Amino acid sequence: MSGAVSIEDLSVVIKGKEILKNINFTLEEGIFLGIVGPNGGGKTTLVRTVLGLLTPTRGTIRIFGQSPKSLTGKNFFGYMPQHHNIDPNFPARAIDIVLMGRYRFSGFLRWPGKKDSKKALEYLSIMGVERQAYEQYSRLSGGQQQRVSIARALAEEPKILVLDEPSTGIDVIGQEDFYHLLKGLQKRLKLTILMVSHDVGTVTTYVDEIACLNITLHYHGNPVGALNEKVLSSLYGKGVDLLVHSDVCEKCERLR
Amino acid sequence: MLDALNSPFMQKAFVVGIMVSLLTGIISAFIVLRKMSFVGAGISHSAFGGVAIGFFTGLNPIAAALVYSIAIAVGIDFTARRGRVSEDVSIGIFYSVSMALGVALISLSGTYNVDLFGYLFGNILAITNREIILTLVMSITVAVILLAYLKELFLITYNEELALVSGVHVKMLNILFLVALSVSIVISIRIVGIIMVSALLVIPGATARLFAKGLLSMIILSCIAGTVSVTAGLFLSYEFDIAPGAGIVLTAAVIFFVPLLLKKRGGMYDNG
Repeated sequence: MSGAVSIEDLSVVIKGKEILKNINFTLEEGIFLGIVGPNGGGKTTLVRTVLGLLTPTRGTIRIFGQSPKSLTGKNFFGYMPQHHNIDPNFPARAIDIVLMGRYRFSGFLRWPGKKDSKKALEYLSIMGVERQAYEQYSRLSGGQQQRVSIARALAEEPKILVLDEPSTGIDVIGQEDFYHLLKGLQKRLKLTILMVSHDVGTVTTYVDEIACLNITLHYHGNPVGALNEKVLSSLYGKGVDLLVHSDVCEKCERLR
Repeated sequence: MLDALNSPFMQKAFVVGIMVSLLTGIISAFIVLRKMSFVGAGISHSAFGGVAIGFFTGLNPIAAALVYSIAIAVGIDFTARRGRVSEDVSIGIFYSVSMALGVALISLSGTYNVDLFGYLFGNILAITNREIILTLVMSITVAVILLAYLKELFLITYNEELALVSGVHVKMLNILFLVALSVSIVISIRIVGIIMVSALLVIPGATARLFAKGLLSMIILSCIAGTVSVTAGLFLSYEFDIAPGAGIVLTAAVIFFVPLLLKKRGGMYDNG
């Protein structure tokens, strides 16, 4: 097995229910992968298993050839959990949140120093929220909080950035900028990115590969290949209408 | 009012009270942020079972309460994490059963006495020099351990999964925190009593959250709110001859509600 993330015959059963079944795929280093699928389709479970937070019931996961559990505490992952799992009123300034990403570099009984603060500001700047560095986290908008959370994940200097629904709380117009920013991060920091999203449409424009997940893996590959009714119907069930944004609405023309 | 300072038993009460409030101040900040106030209330009420075991077996009731509370704390955490029942249900069962066990054992031992009342509502008159030293040693030890792992506790408070991915020993630190919580409950029993000890674990942290701009400042403010509540509450109890536990908790409540009501704008936890 090779690649940044290598998954072979993975199944995860939680409380007797099969959440993931026979998942196989390899993600090469430096690729931006979007994981899409319906709610309850196992997207977050897959990410949590990759991170070593869950143990596979069957199959294996290798991260750069090693098991995820052996990597905890090493700077392989920068993880951003779902927005609703973080207290939006957490009493801290934006920079303090980012500095949490530097804790692992400080060692026991030591706190992040000036160098770490400089790094934290750098990551806030990359995420476009350096002006909010000394503002209270609770005072930031949902989108700014998301950017601060990613800056915290980046401050861990990871090889793989794992984002669970990062666009939650960002309005539709802001989302395109946001994905554009992530694309820039991938190139600039040479990151492998695993991003869970419920938004099949916009994501396909920015990711290199897409994984369509609903308990089993329905599709993995070029994002354009996922945009056909066969894949989407098998993923979300029957009755999926594929709307292509163009000057002429093909569906309306057909109905006419 | 300063008469209180000349009275030997009040001096002991102040010494123990301040030590206890500094420790509960640190713990209270985390209790509030981690939404664990019911855990605190559950363990403190469960301590009654431990005290009763002490009475029944002839062991030191405080030592028995300490061991019992730690066992209950770990039991609540274990049951909740196994996922069969939710944490609030687990606490509800553990603490009511502990109270029932306490009442049953007290009935069997036939010792419905003032001593028991002291454990329930606090009894500063009963504090011995040995207890002062024990409280001092336990408070300092627990506070130092908590402060040593402050960074890791901050990360767990922010998000447990993130802390796990970052290599923090979340399980070990959660148990350590529950042990610290149990110790602080047991050493507070002499001052405020089992019934009211949970107030010291919740109100100072909640007051601190009204003003805190960061985690460190929240811990400091929580310690200040706790210490002011305990000292002012003890003075009030001495002056007006009311139970110290009640004086302390009512003072703590005033310190929380006055700024809350004075805040013109924003929600309870809006740090503006």
